[in-house]
Amino acid sequence: MPEVILRNGSFLLHGLALTAGLAVLAAAGGTALGVAVAAMRHARVRAIAPVLAGYVEVVRGTPLLLVLFICYFALPALLGYKATAFGAAMLGFILFTGAYIAEDIRGGLAAVPKGHIEAGLASGLRPRQVLRLVVLPQALRAVIPMLFNQYVRLFKFTSVASVIGVHELTGDAMLVNARDFAPVTILATIALAYLVCCSAISLAGRALYRRLAAPT
Amino acid sequence: MPTYHFDFAPIWAHRDLLIAGLARTIAVSAAALVLALVLGTLVGTLAAARARAWRVAATASVEMTRNVPLLIHLYLWYVGFAFLRLPPFLCAVLGLAIYSAAYVAEIVRAGIAAVPRGQSEAALALGLSRGKVLGLVVYPQALRIIAPSLASLFSQLIKDSSLASVITVGELSFAASAIESETFRSFEIYITVALLYLALVTAASRLVLLFPGAHRPALHMGFADA
Repeated sequence: MPEVILRNGSFLLHGLALTAGLAVLAAAGGTALGVAVAAMRHARVRAIAPVLAGYVEVVRGTPLLLVLFICYFALPALLGYKATAFGAAMLGFILFTGAYIAEDIRGGLAAVPKGHIEAGLASGLRPRQVLRLVVLPQALRAVIPMLFNQYVRLFKFTSVASVIGVHELTGDAMLVNARDFAPVTILATIALAYLVCCSAISLAGRALYRRLAAPT
Repeated sequence: MPTYHFDFAPIWAHRDLLIAGLARTIAVSAAALVLALVLGTLVGTLAAARARAWRVAATASVEMTRNVPLLIHLYLWYVGFAFLRLPPFLCAVLGLAIYSAAYVAEIVRAGIAAVPRGQSEAALALGLSRGKVLGLVVYPQALRIIAPSLASLFSQLIKDSSLASVITVGELSFAASAIESETFRSFEIYITVALLYLALVTAASRLVLLFPGAHRPALHMGFADA
């Protein structure tokens, strides 16, 4: 391994840990938000339907960088609080990922054939049981590939947090480069780290999808 | 809660910066899109090839490219290959194009796989060369299938182009930061720019759907286009 990486190994590993922490927390928060938004849109809660639709459409049409700028500079100015870079990044990632996941889950719910719901109701299940036993198992399985795509995307996108000053892997790498100047070596090393982590997330998603396969 | 006084006048005063940034965003995105389509079609066609070696090589390069953050791609061209002294605009176009090409390749591969094999077998049996089979039979049918995916990829690319600001390309996000640091109207400027991106992305996806055939369902049979 190149000397510059060994010398800064613990510093870079610390950055990787922060990257992983950001990604895991934001994935959990984004999934919870996405599921909640999709469920409320599915239930057609009329009072907040336009708000939810607006949230999903606006965030999906806005670059992540702008979402982070808004969470770090604009919202604190508007609401009068002091934001930390890490807190703003976390809020931004959750809001960003939540909008995409909400749309994916909405698609999964809509993809369950209507006949299955009717058959469930006709065989005497209550609507709640139909949701829990018929709709959700099918919808959640159908959504797994998209969900894990979002997690991979999120993991890569945590690098953008370095722009607002979070010292995750990319930010740390640029700091190391500023001191020791070995850009190709440093960038190749962290690219490899992202590659390994993202591939692992993809593989986990594929394994989960296979395990939940409907028995044929 | 402290009351915040909205003041969009400083934003309007800097509209020339915003317009120049918007033009730069469109230029970066359009250049990267063209390059990504060319590169992605090439790699995607190889990924759908019969020969295993080509398939493995193409798939591996796609996975390696798209599992690395776009920001790292941009830094690689701008900081890593600094000795090449490429202008930031070109670094942004190259980084964005190569990153997006991996996604285009995956879409193209899936599109080719969705064209029934009998189509290319029939064309080969009629004596068309392999190049003509692709150009006249497979690509036109695949294009109709993948048009919606390409449209959403283009929207993604426009949004991704905002990261070019990090390597000092004076596009829309860069203009936003510049205006913010001059006027301190952070909420007004970032909301304005977010809405400009939203408008741009919406317009771009509408534009792609005007493309002939994008709305039409895929044709599996018949001689309508012969």
